[in-house]
Amino acid sequence: MTDNDTHDSTDEPTAAADGGVASAGQAHAETDYLGSEVNLLKPSTPFMRDHLRIIWTGFAVWAVVVFAPVTATVLAPGAMTTTMPVIGFPLHYFLVAIGAPGGALILAFWYARKRDELDEKYGIEHGGDGA
Amino acid sequence: MTAGIDVAAAALAPAQAGILPEGLNVSFKLLPAILVSGMLAIFLAIGYVFKVADTEGMWVAGRSIGNVENGMAIGANWMSAASYLGMAALIATSGFYGLSFVVGWSTGYFILLIFMAAQMRRFGKYTAPDFVGDRFNSDTARAIGAVTTFLIGFVYAIGQARGMGLVGLYIFGDLGLLGLSGYQSMVVAMMAITVGYLTLSGMLGATKNMAVQYVILIVAFLAGLYVVGFTNGYSTVLPHIEYGALFSELGREFSEPFVNQGYYLWIATAFSLVVGTCGLPHVLVRFYTVENERTARWSTVWGLGFICLLYLSAPAFAAFGTDLYANQIGPVYQTAESAGMTTAAGDVIVVLAAQLSNLPTWFVGFVAAGGIAAAIATTAGLFITGSSAISHDIYKNLINEDATQRQQVFVGRLSIVALGVITTLAALDPAAPIAALVSYAFSLAGAVLFPMFFLGLWWENTNRQGALAGMTTGLVIWTIPMINEVVPAYGILAEAAGSDEVLSATLAQWVPAIGSALIAVPLVFVVTIAVSLATPEPPKETKQMVRQCHSPEPMGQQQTAEDAVTGDDGPAPADD
Repeated sequence: MTDNDTHDSTDEPTAAADGGVASAGQAHAETDYLGSEVNLLKPSTPFMRDHLRIIWTGFAVWAVVVFAPVTATVLAPGAMTTTMPVIGFPLHYFLVAIGAPGGALILAFWYARKRDELDEKYGIEHGGDGA
Repeated sequence: MTAGIDVAAAALAPAQAGILPEGLNVSFKLLPAILVSGMLAIFLAIGYVFKVADTEGMWVAGRSIGNVENGMAIGANWMSAASYLGMAALIATSGFYGLSFVVGWSTGYFILLIFMAAQMRRFGKYTAPDFVGDRFNSDTARAIGAVTTFLIGFVYAIGQARGMGLVGLYIFGDLGLLGLSGYQSMVVAMMAITVGYLTLSGMLGATKNMAVQYVILIVAFLAGLYVVGFTNGYSTVLPHIEYGALFSELGREFSEPFVNQGYYLWIATAFSLVVGTCGLPHVLVRFYTVENERTARWSTVWGLGFICLLYLSAPAFAAFGTDLYANQIGPVYQTAESAGMTTAAGDVIVVLAAQLSNLPTWFVGFVAAGGIAAAIATTAGLFITGSSAISHDIYKNLINEDATQRQQVFVGRLSIVALGVITTLAALDPAAPIAALVSYAFSLAGAVLFPMFFLGLWWENTNRQGALAGMTTGLVIWTIPMINEVVPAYGILAEAAGSDEVLSATLAQWVPAIGSALIAVPLVFVVTIAVSLATPEPPKETKQMVRQCHSPEPMGQQQTAEDAVTGDDGPAPADD
């Protein structure tokens, strides 16, 4: 593997030393977004840190919703294929056919809401339509 | 253990020289034929009424589309024959494995939403070649992006052509063209209609009004589901849940896990479809017309909701169809005496369910017309994207920089005809069911374009060399299983293939063509990152463009990340 000595030297995060900033809005005003590195694994601005926290939370829940039922069905076929009362679905079928798409939809709604709250926290307003 | 439904389908192919869905009423029917023509005429008419005079007009007027309308556009754009026909087909014939398509094609939108939708909107480039070319400052990357886009259009369209050919049999009957089988004649006829539709919509300047298209398609599908469920006593108000009562009567193959395909293939397929969703060029374009990044986010949420309407319905439709088939035609799954339902009958199960319910011809035709309209509209869109990749990104940018408008249009038309011809040829004797054919395109988008979009947006140090190495790796990994499994089905290399029609059964098991992105994506990430680290960092301007995509600062409506970095406010003033 080649050594990585040409990297990460020129663009140090500028917002790292914001210590006791009074509010998110002020932190936002003081951040030079065009001067702060973009690296999924190394957020360099307070906003990016907050945003990535939401993204990773959502991603983790998504991974569970999408891949856990089918994996559980391999590991414990007996328990997962039991027939559900009233609706008659085998559990694994219900969780995959209805749980996964429905879960993704709810998550999507959750994320969009959270992201709007983030804008509010940082005092950002988008022009145009309200909804 | 076989390695994919495509293999199973390929094994059936030689026996059915003329693909014919058993049980389907094949004859010319006047009312359904009028319905199909009517739907296409409505698409054209609405497009004409809302037509935009020129690109400039689209740029300005188009950018004001709101959440719900753009959500519907996302839904219409998305719903092709693969969703309308192919998904229910795989659920009917492959049971639990078919659900990996439902999951992959819907939940992928969440990944698109959290990682890419708003950032893409801010980047401001909406074709895959444009993004790749501008982000990595490379005409070669642009060319690879263009070739990939063209290939995606081609592979995706084969599945659509198969769908049109099969459903067309119900509406128009066996045309018997030039010694071709009924199905083949229909493919030729339908592709001719598609190219005609494309020419007409081009001449009328009709940008399709996709919101209306979505409404027509979803109404046709849901009406079919509700009426079939009600008339057979399966369901009343909520068939999406009520089909649960049928599980005990349907064969164990319908719901029992991993009897048709194993866990690995399930995961590979679902993963491939998820990353493919995030890498498909025609999905990206949907963020072109929205007001701002916030609308990009919310319209993705709406889009996913509209898609779920169909995706929660498809398993119910499959369950009803499977039960009707078992009661009226024969065993659905392979038994000692019977081969079970063919993939051809599976691919029209939605129409077959309506027909077996003894519903009036016009109603069955309405359901069928929805499938054909979905296929034609999607194919038209794919061909336009594919041909513009050739005429704009390859011809104008690389071959003839001084090309006149006329020359470009000529090359564009030529590529549309070329696409039409190769798609028709490939669909005459298709290697797999609709949904599998379409997933090859998803594997390609996932393997080549998704890593470029993702790394390009989320790691500013991704550079030209990394992108070129990564895209090449992705293309190679996608091509290998395609040669291994799909090419032999067309008679090429057939003598080298074993009795299961694949060159290497082990390769087909671990790198299935249908889910090759599971292997490709991690490898492409590693290659892209390693090469980017080993070579000089991208220029400052490129990095700032990436940073601009993630800044919470609102941007001018028509500003791209590039404008923001170079200090150009774009045609509209920025907010501060």
